[in-house]
Amino acid sequence: MELSNVSDTSIKKPNRIDGRRLRSERTKQLIIEAYLALADAFSPRVPTAAEIAEKAGYSVRSVFERFPDIRALQIAAVDYAMAQVTALAPSGEFEGDRQARLNAQVRARAQVCERWLPLWRSLIINQGDSAELKDRIRVARERYMARLEVVYQPELAAVSELERRQLLIALEAMTDLESWARMRQFFELPFDDACIAWIQAIDRLLPQSSTSA
Amino acid sequence: MSASAPLKPPRIDGRRLRSERTKQLIIEAYLALLRENSLSPMPTAADIAERAGYSVRSIFERFPDLHTLRVAAADYGLAHAAALAPARDVDADRPTRIKSQVETRAGTCERGVALWRALTLNVDEDDALKARLHIARTRTIDRIEIMYRPELSVLPEIERRNMLIALEALTEMESWARMREMHGLSFAESCALWIRAIDRMLPPTPL
Repeated sequence: MELSNVSDTSIKKPNRIDGRRLRSERTKQLIIEAYLALADAFSPRVPTAAEIAEKAGYSVRSVFERFPDIRALQIAAVDYAMAQVTALAPSGEFEGDRQARLNAQVRARAQVCERWLPLWRSLIINQGDSAELKDRIRVARERYMARLEVVYQPELAAVSELERRQLLIALEAMTDLESWARMRQFFELPFDDACIAWIQAIDRLLPQSSTSA
Repeated sequence: MSASAPLKPPRIDGRRLRSERTKQLIIEAYLALLRENSLSPMPTAADIAERAGYSVRSIFERFPDLHTLRVAAADYGLAHAAALAPARDVDADRPTRIKSQVETRAGTCERGVALWRALTLNVDEDDALKARLHIARTRTIDRIEIMYRPELSVLPEIERRNMLIALEALTEMESWARMREMHGLSFAESCALWIRAIDRMLPPTPL
């Protein structure tokens, strides 16, 4: 193709970076991060706009220019946290024999629980009648169950559809964030002992895989 | 027994009895409101007064604040759960014991989840609630221990403790609530799920 045949309008220009928009997005993210840090520290109390603004280094007005109210900020923060959990999830859970997968899954879950428990509690306690927050709580649980289904696919493949569903519900209940909190706070188990309790329970609950049976 | 000390029937203080009855009706009104909207952890004094058929002043004459009412409701709930859920079939065979424990626990969860939520959502406010939640959990664990004594007896100490922790987590109030609310299971389906899971987890029953 000759260059003379190419019209001016079809020449691709590099995307212009809108600096103002970029700064605004960065501010939004810093506000979300400030909210998460404070919600973690104050859990289950929701931080005030003044506290969030001070932590982020902006004015209260800046906070409300980007989020119409604290509930909207809460929702954005939950989305951010959920994306982080997904992005940081290790891939080792899916590999190896039953024992290796059990160990990896439990340790990964335990770390999520240690990291996110205060925020999860804050979310549960402050969900009120917010359909958006309820929806995110449901999605978080469904994502976790979907992950369990992949990690323990060899074992779950050995049972009927109904039993598979029952096992996933039972696994989710046993390894819920509050179940972890009880082991650590009520039963006062150290991290490693709590992991062992979960590993033993899951190992007992899961059937033998169809290949090892 | 000397004739100078005839036994008199104890005098019933009618005013005190009425006041206790009013207190109980207020607690029951609070619990009924919680059951109707379990996500509202503290109905207002006006709501409770209207439901109980008393004035707001009557409520605050008996409970200095709504938190005290919540603590009284927790005591009422604990007593109620103990009365309605005695241990049954303790010496029966394994399937009967599992079924009995699950159905009793399910009934407690079904009746008690609204109050449970109200307590757990407010637990950081006061140690009085924390103590009651602690009692409730300890009773649940004690019950599991009684019902599955033969199976638990074959496990080493630490494994027995871990098994109790796992069974408590599995049959926790919110676990029940999720089966019913999030997964849409019926009462019977939820019981079947717990029965199957417990049967899988418990070691074989010793002969």
